[in-house]
Amino acid sequence: MDLDPHIIELIGRYLGAGVALGFGGIGAAVGMGLAAGNADEGIMRQPETQSQMVRTMLIGQAVGGSPSIFALVIGLMILFVPSASLSGTETTMVAGLIAAGIAIGLGCFGSGLGCGWPAAAGCSGVARNPRHASRITQAMIIGQAVAQSPSIFAAVIALVLLFVNFAPGAAEWAIVGIAIGAGIAMGAGGLGPGLGSGVTAGGAISGLSLWPQTYGTTVRTMLIGQAVAQTPAIFGLLIAFIMMFAMQDIGDGIIGFARAVAAGVAVGFGGIGPGIGSGIAAERGCSASAARPRIEALVLRTMLIGQAVSQSTAIYSLIIALIILYVL
Amino acid sequence: MDLSSIIMLMQTAMAQAAEQLPEATSAITGDDIRLAGAMLGAGMCMGFGAIGPGIGQGFAAGKACEAIGRSPENAGLLTRTMLMGQAVSETTGIYSLVVAFLILFVLS
Repeated sequence: MDLDPHIIELIGRYLGAGVALGFGGIGAAVGMGLAAGNADEGIMRQPETQSQMVRTMLIGQAVGGSPSIFALVIGLMILFVPSASLSGTETTMVAGLIAAGIAIGLGCFGSGLGCGWPAAAGCSGVARNPRHASRITQAMIIGQAVAQSPSIFAAVIALVLLFVNFAPGAAEWAIVGIAIGAGIAMGAGGLGPGLGSGVTAGGAISGLSLWPQTYGTTVRTMLIGQAVAQTPAIFGLLIAFIMMFAMQDIGDGIIGFARAVAAGVAVGFGGIGPGIGSGIAAERGCSASAARPRIEALVLRTMLIGQAVSQSTAIYSLIIALIILYVL
Repeated sequence: MDLSSIIMLMQTAMAQAAEQLPEATSAITGDDIRLAGAMLGAGMCMGFGAIGPGIGQGFAAGKACEAIGRSPENAGLLTRTMLMGQAVSETTGIYSLVVAFLILFVLS
């Protein structure tokens, strides 16, 4: 069966945009819904805080909605950018369109849900402690900004997949594999860290609403915990860039295709668990150091040891991906 | 159209396909498919296998932090218990790693 190249291109555009918006919308929608639910609950308990609550909710939702806006922008690009300005041959261009959708869709899923977590915690916190609403809102924005970074990495990779002529000199099917592999590495690799950093920020904000005088300690613990939780996303970004720009010879035909996809699956899906797990560890660490700032060093030590152990499987995945790329 | 003529048509079609097949796929040998399958299998093995241990160990670490926040004087005991629990949770991750290595270096 021979298909018109134009039809294949259209299939690629529809698939890519569908995956981008389908997955990219879930996280932010659930997150914003959580925030609205907690705001309603807070207003029900303390009706006099209504105006402050609505403000915190809207700020949280505006920041938490931005991953879905990234997905929308990339999705519209996948649908409507003329094929003359996209990179690659007919086949590799279609792969790039689908892979960009995978990268931005999965990457924004985690970040969107992750940004909703602190927004929900912020609304509950304002209800609990309306006098310190501005402090709580400030910590919420800081936490959301960090939780958003995997979606920004994913947007960068999606734009590279669409517009840059990556892997020059590789065989056509190897380039298809590199595109799909890089999309999975960054998309799935960003899912866990985005959600995990959001959970961390939620714990910090809950702690802060009970003990607002520990702002400095709690935000410090939160940022350290979030930074560790981000490592799997950076592994995904690293493997995606290595495959696209630093591989000398990835192999021909089916070997090159399988090598790139396998490395992407290993490092991408391997990052989900460690990202979420490190985030949960840091969430409890933040609560503990907010409650008792005097033992911050002890809590921080335990949290970092626990996170390091939780990251070990992400490092195994990275090792397997590097072996697949360079040894075999 | 009776059964024998359908079978005959299928036979000629299969013969034609068999003639065309070696030209279309001459670049791919059995060893290539085997190596490609090994790489994909190892990637999936380690990738999906890493999800559970990561989340589980995070839970353990989180509970340890919470407990140390409540009773810091037991920090040594709590850290030891946390590490023991995490080591057990790590086992499935190590199984995945070992199986991935087996697929990559022994079976392929």
